[in-house]
Amino acid sequence: MQYTPLLNEYERQGGKVVDFHGWGLPLQFRGILEEHRWVRQQAGVFDCSHMAEFVIRGADNIRSFSNLVIGDLVNLAVGRCRYTALLNTSGGILDDGVALRLSPEELFLVTNAGTHDAVSAWLQRHIPEIEDISGDMAKIDVQGPRALQTLLKLGFAGMETMSFWAGRRCQWQGMDMVVTRAGYTGELGYELFVPNNGAVALWRALMALPEIMPCGLGARDTLRTEMGYPLSGQDVDETRTPVEAGLNRFIAWDTEFPGKPVLEKQRESGAHDTLVALRSMDKRAPRHGFELRHDGGVVGVVTSGTFGPSVGYGIGLGYVPAALARPGLQLEAGPRALPVVIETLPFYKQATGRNPIEISNPKQGGDANV
Amino acid sequence: MNPDTLKYTEEHEWIVEQRGIYIIGITEYAVEELGEITFVELPELGKRLERGEDAAVIESVKAASDVYAPVTGIVAEVNDVLEMEPDLINRDPYGKGWILKLKDVNEEEYNELMDSRSYRGYLKTVE
Repeated sequence: MQYTPLLNEYERQGGKVVDFHGWGLPLQFRGILEEHRWVRQQAGVFDCSHMAEFVIRGADNIRSFSNLVIGDLVNLAVGRCRYTALLNTSGGILDDGVALRLSPEELFLVTNAGTHDAVSAWLQRHIPEIEDISGDMAKIDVQGPRALQTLLKLGFAGMETMSFWAGRRCQWQGMDMVVTRAGYTGELGYELFVPNNGAVALWRALMALPEIMPCGLGARDTLRTEMGYPLSGQDVDETRTPVEAGLNRFIAWDTEFPGKPVLEKQRESGAHDTLVALRSMDKRAPRHGFELRHDGGVVGVVTSGTFGPSVGYGIGLGYVPAALARPGLQLEAGPRALPVVIETLPFYKQATGRNPIEISNPKQGGDANV
Repeated sequence: MNPDTLKYTEEHEWIVEQRGIYIIGITEYAVEELGEITFVELPELGKRLERGEDAAVIESVKAASDVYAPVTGIVAEVNDVLEMEPDLINRDPYGKGWILKLKDVNEEEYNELMDSRSYRGYLKTVE
């Protein structure tokens, strides 16, 4: 089992540690529901140090990398992030991730833990000079309407000028860090990439603030499911293409990427599965692996499912043929034929992530975004 | 309910006889495994359940799980409060979080179940 530099911290805070893709990570601290609601109203902190980070340097290497993913990263502006997906030659999703143009010559890439070894080897085959810094980097996500306020209190400078999906280098207590205004909860939030040896100091500084609650994988999953964000290895994997996964808006069709002919064919024919949002009529939830039935026949499968604490009913994601992907269509899920209806995403529509920052006096910090 | 006086199944239900009525719930171990419970589906009154048959469904944030009838019997009462407050099971699994009561139970099946000491031994083998 691998552990992050924060293991002792969350064990002391009552974190219940579970095995997540070979990493010992906290499932929950005070409870999934309480942590979930706290993130929607205050600010939660997640240890995401298990995730993988890479640096790609030089225009040629950035171009090579851009040709491995669905997006155009050559033309990604400095200071901007882009969600993208790494594809195999059949167009299947090896992993998804976020790329940040740190400078004209540098791309910073964040991918998932479960795929790290395979993705790292694959990237190094294609871009020998890529630098895998996963082993040196901790990642702490601060998520919630009060996230900005907490960072300003800790003395992070200039956070209030960062727009949604911006990212840049920053310094905190003399440490070089990378920060992005992004996250996996839908709420206003920041992802802080800090060297391993600074992780504990940052975690403790955050925990000293009354707006902050430590949160685990459980709340991370319910929060992202309410937004309809796919989970790599579960909702998207090598057997699914970005067209099937509903990621069309992230595809730069005028660039090259592996499996492009497969995706073009799917786009033209429309004959493919599509990821849909499923909601239950009550608190029962569709669950990962449940078969989806329509008119008595199996038409698809549920890939994620949970109770949605902020919406109050069971929610999930799953694949059905595109011809059936109509909002309002009712399906039956799982062994007990749970009625579920195809919805439009996100399930939770009041998330604060994209809201513009409103601050009366950024120097004070305390009144920010209240 | 004192956990020491209850009978147990390998599926982590508890059951106890009180004046001919058999009260059933799930154990603290089961509650820990399930996490926060969000929904409970209870059986119909008067329904006859065979031993091992689905008696109730419990959904938590994390998972859905069946509660099996530990013994054969007829549903005499269900804990309706759980429909509004399913997390009573989390808070008080051996008390207010009971799930259903059976009558006309097969006593031989009841006597075959584990006592608390056996159940504690069994838990060591599954943990």
